[in-house]
Amino acid sequence: MDALEWLGSAMRAARAQLDVATQNLANVSSDGYRRAEARVALTPQGLVTSSGATHEQGAVRTTGRSFDLALLGGGAFRVGRTTTRNGAFTRDRAGWLVDDRGRRLHGERGPLRVSDRATVAADGIVHDGGRIVDRIPLPPGTHILAGALETSTVNAIGETLSILTAQRAFETAQKTLLAIDATREKRSNDIARVQ
Amino acid sequence: MYAAASGMAAQQMQLEIVADNLANADVAGFKGDAATFEDVRAGTIGLGTTSVGKHAVFAQGKLMRSGGPFDVAIDGPGFFVVERGRELAYTRNGEFARDAGGTLRNAAGWTLSAVRIPADALAVRVERDGRVLVDTAGAHGRTIARLRLASFATPEALRPLGATLFAATETSGRARLFAPGGRDGSSIAFGMLERSNVSIVEAMMQILGAQRAYEANAKGVQAADEMLRIANNLHRG
Repeated sequence: MDALEWLGSAMRAARAQLDVATQNLANVSSDGYRRAEARVALTPQGLVTSSGATHEQGAVRTTGRSFDLALLGGGAFRVGRTTTRNGAFTRDRAGWLVDDRGRRLHGERGPLRVSDRATVAADGIVHDGGRIVDRIPLPPGTHILAGALETSTVNAIGETLSILTAQRAFETAQKTLLAIDATREKRSNDIARVQ
Repeated sequence: MYAAASGMAAQQMQLEIVADNLANADVAGFKGDAATFEDVRAGTIGLGTTSVGKHAVFAQGKLMRSGGPFDVAIDGPGFFVVERGRELAYTRNGEFARDAGGTLRNAAGWTLSAVRIPADALAVRVERDGRVLVDTAGAHGRTIARLRLASFATPEALRPLGATLFAATETSGRARLFAPGGRDGSSIAFGMLERSNVSIVEAMMQILGAQRAYEANAKGVQAADEMLRIANNLHRG
């Protein structure tokens, strides 16, 4: 690979790191959001950046609303056809537990339909008026805390640092690229010139 | 760059909501709002964040003794039913005053449904179970009305009409009336008002957090812009 291509890939990698950091920063207030991590790998095609999920636990913030559910541990809630760790649910008019986009929360037996007196226990079992209605499936070792939400795991200071680092790396690559370009210009224009 | 810009918009919205909560922190019966944000992505590409909803948080506010002769507060869930003309609204602000016609009216001119104080009443009080009792020269403790409270399937979907009034919507469901003091666990506290459930200290902390997050996102926009500038400098005239 040519030096210019290498530096080009370094610039692309820095750009990708910036994208990951800004995406994280934008979601510093999104409950249940887990920070993405930029991983830079050295390959024969140059520097390649991929973004991977992290699995650290977010801090828990109490809200006092009985259908706000925080996941302590791994896993995710199944809502509609997708999954989320954002556990802010409300009871809709018909009694379904829905998230803010209107997607229904699923238990083991399908979407959960409860009365306003229902409670969710730490093991995911949904009690409604002394009766067990369903269970929210959880991986082993995971608990639910009702009346609380898991906050985003983004650390604003760390992300700001990544932004600055990416910006400087981009700049360094660009300067080096220009320097090499200048040398080559000299080679093709000056050395070949017959004095 | 656009992801960071969406983060700035989100923090600005958060600031507006907290500022509104703070502005109403002294209003009896006020319920603070909270916004929910969620990440947006297309496949593996992050596109920033978006607000997916703003709703009132109906946590109980502290009850405090007040001086008003017609002040009432709800201890537990539920809303007072108030009317203006033929329009109905629901509120937890129990700050009422008696008007010339004998109805109990709040500051915005809405009257408490089904209550009319007789002209010869000397004293009025409201029991835990919502019974309105009046003392007149001839009779002591005559029941003239019984307050009923409204509950909703989804109170979060109520439409706000001003700071403490709400109207029913399609999604909130229709009001279900119930008598206080019963199994529903709500009771009326007479001579008390419910303070707003906004904590000033918590709101201040939210403001600081939103400000810092806004600045950090602005840094992201700046850095993306700077990178574009540097890339443009690759071409040496």
